Amino acid sequence: MPTPGAHHGPASMPLTLALDWWDKLWFNGHVDSSTFSASSDGVFFYIFWTSTAFFVLLMALMFWWAWKYRRIPGVAPEASVSHNTILELTWSIIPTILFAIMFIWGLVAYLPMKIAPADSEVISVTAKKWAWSIVYDNGASPLQTEKLADMDGPVFALPVDRPTKFIMSSQDVIHSMYLPAFRAKRDVFPNFYTGQWVQPTKISHRWNETEKVWEPVNPLDKGYYLTCAEYCGDQHSQMMGRIMVLAEPDYQLWKSQQADTGGIPLTELGEKLHKSKGCVACHSVDGSSGTGPSWKGIWGQSRKFKDGGSAVADENYIRESMLEPGKHIVDGYSNQMPTFQGQVTDREILAVATYIKTLSDNEADKEAAKAAAAEELKQKTEAKP
Amino acid sequence: MTTLPMGNAALDRELEPHERYVPGHHWRNAQDEMEAAKLGMWLFLATEILLFAGFFCAYTVFRYWYPDNWHAASRHYLNWKIGAANTVVLLLSSFTIVLAIRGAQTNRKGMMLVNLFITELCAAFFLIVKLGWEYAPKWQKGELPGANFTYGGHTVEAGEAAAHGGLIDSIFHVDHGSYVTNAYDHIFLSIYWISTATHGFHVLVGMIVIGWAMWLASRGHYGPRHYTSLENVGLYWHIVDIIWIFLFPLLYLV
Amino acid sequence: MSGHHDVSYLAPKDTFWKSVWAWVYTLDHKRIGVMYLAATLLAFFLGGVFAIVLRTELWEPTRTVITDAGQTQTTGQVLFGWKENGQQVTANNAYNRAFTLHGTIMVFLFIIPAVPAALGNIFLPIMLGAKDVAFPRVNLFSWYIYVFGSIFAIWSIIHGGVETGWTFYTPYSSSTNWGGVTSMVLGAFILGFSSIFTGINFIATVHKLRVPGMGWFDMPLFVWAVYATAIMQVLATPVLGITLAMLVFERTLHIGIFDPALGGDPVLFQHFFWFYSHPAVYIMIVPGMGIISELIAVNCRKRIFGYRAIAFSSIAIAAISFLVWAHHMLTSQTAALNAIFSALTFLVAIPTAIKVFNWVATMYKASISLNTGMLYAMAFLFCFTIGGLTGPPLATLATDIHLHDTYFVVAHFHYVMMGGTVLAFLGGLHHWWPKFTGRMYNENLARLGCILVFIGFNLTFFIQFFLGTQGMPRRYATYVDEFEWMHKISTTGSYVLASGLLLHLMVFIQSLMGGAQAPKNPWGGLTFEWETDSPPIEHNFPHEPVITHGPYDYDTEYPPHCDPRDYPLPDQAKVAALAHH
Ligand code: HEA
Ligand code: HEA
Ligand code: HEC
Ligand code: CUA
Ligand SMILES: [Cu+2]
Repeated sequence: MPTPGAHHGPASMPLTLALDWWDKLWFNGHVDSSTFSASSDGVFFYIFWTSTAFFVLLMALMFWWAWKYRRIPGVAPEASVSHNTILELTWSIIPTILFAIMFIWGLVAYLPMKIAPADSEVISVTAKKWAWSIVYDNGASPLQTEKLADMDGPVFALPVDRPTKFIMSSQDVIHSMYLPAFRAKRDVFPNFYTGQWVQPTKISHRWNETEKVWEPVNPLDKGYYLTCAEYCGDQHSQMMGRIMVLAEPDYQLWKSQQADTGGIPLTELGEKLHKSKGCVACHSVDGSSGTGPSWKGIWGQSRKFKDGGSAVADENYIRESMLEPGKHIVDGYSNQMPTFQGQVTDREILAVATYIKTLSDNEADKEAAKAAAAEELKQKTEAKP
Repeated sequence: MTTLPMGNAALDRELEPHERYVPGHHWRNAQDEMEAAKLGMWLFLATEILLFAGFFCAYTVFRYWYPDNWHAASRHYLNWKIGAANTVVLLLSSFTIVLAIRGAQTNRKGMMLVNLFITELCAAFFLIVKLGWEYAPKWQKGELPGANFTYGGHTVEAGEAAAHGGLIDSIFHVDHGSYVTNAYDHIFLSIYWISTATHGFHVLVGMIVIGWAMWLASRGHYGPRHYTSLENVGLYWHIVDIIWIFLFPLLYLV
Repeated sequence: MSGHHDVSYLAPKDTFWKSVWAWVYTLDHKRIGVMYLAATLLAFFLGGVFAIVLRTELWEPTRTVITDAGQTQTTGQVLFGWKENGQQVTANNAYNRAFTLHGTIMVFLFIIPAVPAALGNIFLPIMLGAKDVAFPRVNLFSWYIYVFGSIFAIWSIIHGGVETGWTFYTPYSSSTNWGGVTSMVLGAFILGFSSIFTGINFIATVHKLRVPGMGWFDMPLFVWAVYATAIMQVLATPVLGITLAMLVFERTLHIGIFDPALGGDPVLFQHFFWFYSHPAVYIMIVPGMGIISELIAVNCRKRIFGYRAIAFSSIAIAAISFLVWAHHMLTSQTAALNAIFSALTFLVAIPTAIKVFNWVATMYKASISLNTGMLYAMAFLFCFTIGGLTGPPLATLATDIHLHDTYFVVAHFHYVMMGGTVLAFLGGLHHWWPKFTGRMYNENLARLGCILVFIGFNLTFFIQFFLGTQGMPRRYATYVDEFEWMHKISTTGSYVLASGLLLHLMVFIQSLMGGAQAPKNPWGGLTFEWETDSPPIEHNFPHEPVITHGPYDYDTEYPPHCDPRDYPLPDQAKVAALAHH
């Protein structure tokens, strides 16, 4: 079973342990986890060992001579030359050759990263402060989230041994999609699309049919990270996600699971979206204010705007806040919220609104929200033959 | 300390400051001092050119992307005749400042002062034309840089570009009678405003230093033995001129 | 005429206020240099305080030092100012401001002026045998511009701080409505002028004020280095100036050149920024390299190996450094551009490699004195080589994609800037301290300080290479648990480092208060500064010095004012034999 981290053979052998430790030290154990890992790490270790050789040589000479030729009063230094053309040429030319190899090897390993295979599956990625939204070709976007570096990030899946291409754009500032385990990184810009592709080579999770959960193949390894590598403001460090690499059938299963949100009641869906769409980056549900106002207790209240106007927070208000956030700016906040136009379905907007309703301070609203959610689900299932 | 050739009976008058000139205490001779001052000035002028090179780069990049837009904007917003008039004036002033230096070298104070004065007049003419015939009408019509662009009631709003499908390919075209604003007019105008305003600022500084040189000249500080700062002022003025020679065709004639 | 000029340049004037005025309106390059030194050390301290704050915050994966309200519990509001424009102070913001202020202060206020404008100002004219720099008034003016620019920078700290990163990337920097950005950018813009004027001044000085008889290849290598730096300062800084000016216009007038929301191009900003800031990193290191050449030659009492190669490599670095800027943008541009810039980057590494080999070769068959200066030179060779050697993996296309904007880069540039320039600066400070203050310091305590700094520095930053390869991005206020142990090591190291620096500070204060009078030439140097008094007199030399030998002719010369018992001449027969080769 190829598990990440343990791939050098039986773990009991000292050499294996040493190699595993070595991989862990350099790459957190994630070696050979994508097609890029192997080629990129090859150059890396070439540079590393060349550099180490030079460093050890230079430092050995330096310390040795510092001791051997230390000044002893009264002892004259031996005469020695202060110039030697052949020596100087040698130590200019050898590094030049070694550098040339680095450049060429680096280029050769790099070019495939820029050319996505034609049969890649395309996933669209939108970056915004401070969340990734990921939409698959079947319209699915991940609902599961996990707490990473102090915030909830999406958990999403990639197929193993098959190229996947991300088409990426940003809604505000520059972000950068960084998948350390796959040695892939590309900046995401607000004014044009950038692309990057990866082909993971190690399965990290599988579907446990009995428990109905996605479980890691290697319990010590929770999968791979997606991080944001271009500074983008306050919660740059929490703009993370988790990737599961799945075998093909599992991958299809996962995609259909995520696409089918119909069976989830609105209140629950709203709660999930709050995390998976990244609202949580700015909106708390416990009353503490962040970049945006907390959702607790706003339902049904009159919201004051910067320009002096106001509106009551109801379904329409919330729809407008999501689709045209710049239209009304809540007093005390600034126009930071990105639009979610085109990234949410009507049912999802309704779900958010219903969820916000459950956060009302008014017990009756909470009950009404739950009742509405149950009713909606009932109608849905009845409508289906 | 003065090293004027002695034994000259004509020296019964008091020496002019330029005849009495002594180099700074740390200099070995006046020659070194003068050469150093010129070297320093040249280096400074190199930094000036690099500074404007920044504008030229920005200009080139956007022009490369939107050549048609650039062409139309230049035709519509700028009047090449005004630009040409200013070019002629600046060229003239470059010539007169050379004459002023010549005046110093040949010890003709009158020639020096008159030519410096004409240079000042040219500079003033340039600025008046710039402010009165270009900036003021543009300001009124709203042909302002970037988001301040309100030409014919059309405003560029932050986010407007991005709102169109997230990309800026599809940008607004608004019809104002005979002229249809193009997507990047406001950027053309930004580059126009900041580069010409920076240049205008340099002209203003030029007027101040030329005025200062006139004052020194009138007090007899420049003569064949010493006219370093006058020459440096001249060098500076030439650069201001040359930068305009680049700005003019790029902005007005594309 | 002279007479009163024969006293120390530090000597106070008749009355207190006259003395103050003599500093405020001094045209003496040494005084101006000392004023720069004081100002830049203050900046170093301030930048260091921010470094300690941010390292302390990183002790644990989640926020600890910084409270939910965005203030730090240890330093309170003083360091970070109050919230601005009704902007919500959010949780990570204090951290983001801490690293931004750390970076900007260290780069613009400390490291760029520290070596050339402080030590260079004091010693460049003396080493050339000149009485002053070419334009003393411009020199003083540059200092005031520096102070003026710094006031803007400090103002931005008090006024809410800056949270854009020292790179000010648009559109983040043009859209954030956090208080201090405009003021900080203006500050950096103004500081640029100070740097330009200093550069012009030094170039003219080197061209026109060498003592008669001193050819280009009779100049000390420190002078060569400062000269190469001056060229870069003059050619690169204006571009930064215009970039920052456009950024200010972008923020105030919304000109739309860099702001994509208005149709502008954020990558253009990156090009502009790095066109300056890449040469800037060599502006930071090259003068430091000059110091190392002096330290090694003097303390090894040997003719420096490959003088010409070292001199030319400074110029080569200066020239090539203008062609590599976009290696900072390998994840934001096209493959073709990337390939070009990667190739060019390797070119700039070659002259640096040459220098390193030459320094080590100079130690062969030398007479090495392990005083603080030499210890710092060795520490420099150790750390800078690591820093330099981690440049190539960043310049290599395939690997930089992985390493860009991770802690690997953070470690790389601290190894070259702190482990390179700052160690060289500290070495130079100890080397020349007796000369410009006229006081000796406690050698053993200074050595101890050096060792603490060396250990603390490596403890802080070596582990960050692994953080980087494991995928920890930089500018992260919080991080996932698996990185915790490495951050703990790093933070511990930074405390050791700080204690070493504080020890140095104490040694220096002690030296100023009660240090022994310094002799003219405590280390036995051959360059001109060791021929004048310690501290030098007002116009450096009582008579114009005469050049009789090269700066490193230890094989044939006694250093002036040195006891022959301490300095045995080499075997004359061997020297003669050598001369025949
Ligand atoms: C003093 C400052 C300094 C110096 C001297 C250098 C030196 C070098 N730097 Fe560094 N660099 C920075 C300061 C500096 N750098 C800073 C501040 C940043 C980050 C900015 C930011 O983003 O905030 C940075 C970032 C940076 C990047 C961008 C990384 C990224 O963001 O993705 C790159 C990429 O090419 C790079 C490369 C190099 C190279 C190749 C050298 C070379 O000049 C090094 C040459 C030296 C040697 C190679 C060692 C000696 C040689 C030998 C012993 C010979 C034998 C060796 C071999 C054959 C391998 N640097
Ligand atoms: C010259 C440049 C310089 C120097 C010297 C340093 C010094 C230090 N830096 Fe700095 N650092 C930068 C330049 C520098 N840094 C830059 C440009 C960035 C990027 C910012 C960005 O991303 O925008 C950065 C970012 C940066 C980070 C990454 C932050 C992040 O990405 O999230 C970290 C984290 O560990 C760090 C730590 C430190 C530490 C512990 C020191 C220590 O070495 C500091 C030690 C100093 C002291 C503790 C002060 C004590 C001083 C005295 C007591 C006075 C001494 C007086 C005499 C000797 C007379 N720095
Ligand atoms: C980058 C930060 C950010 C993100 C992400 C974000 N918001 Fe907001 N939101 C804000 C800010 C700031 C405001 C207040 C200013 C305004 O009204 O635009 C706000 C206001 C709102 C309001 C009005 C609240 C009130 O107090 O009246 C609603 C509703 C809302 N957001 C919903 C959402 C939803 C739903 C999502 C995710 C799908 C989301 N937001 C994601 C920043 C954000
Ligand atoms: Cu998004 Cu950093
Ligand atoms: Cu660089």
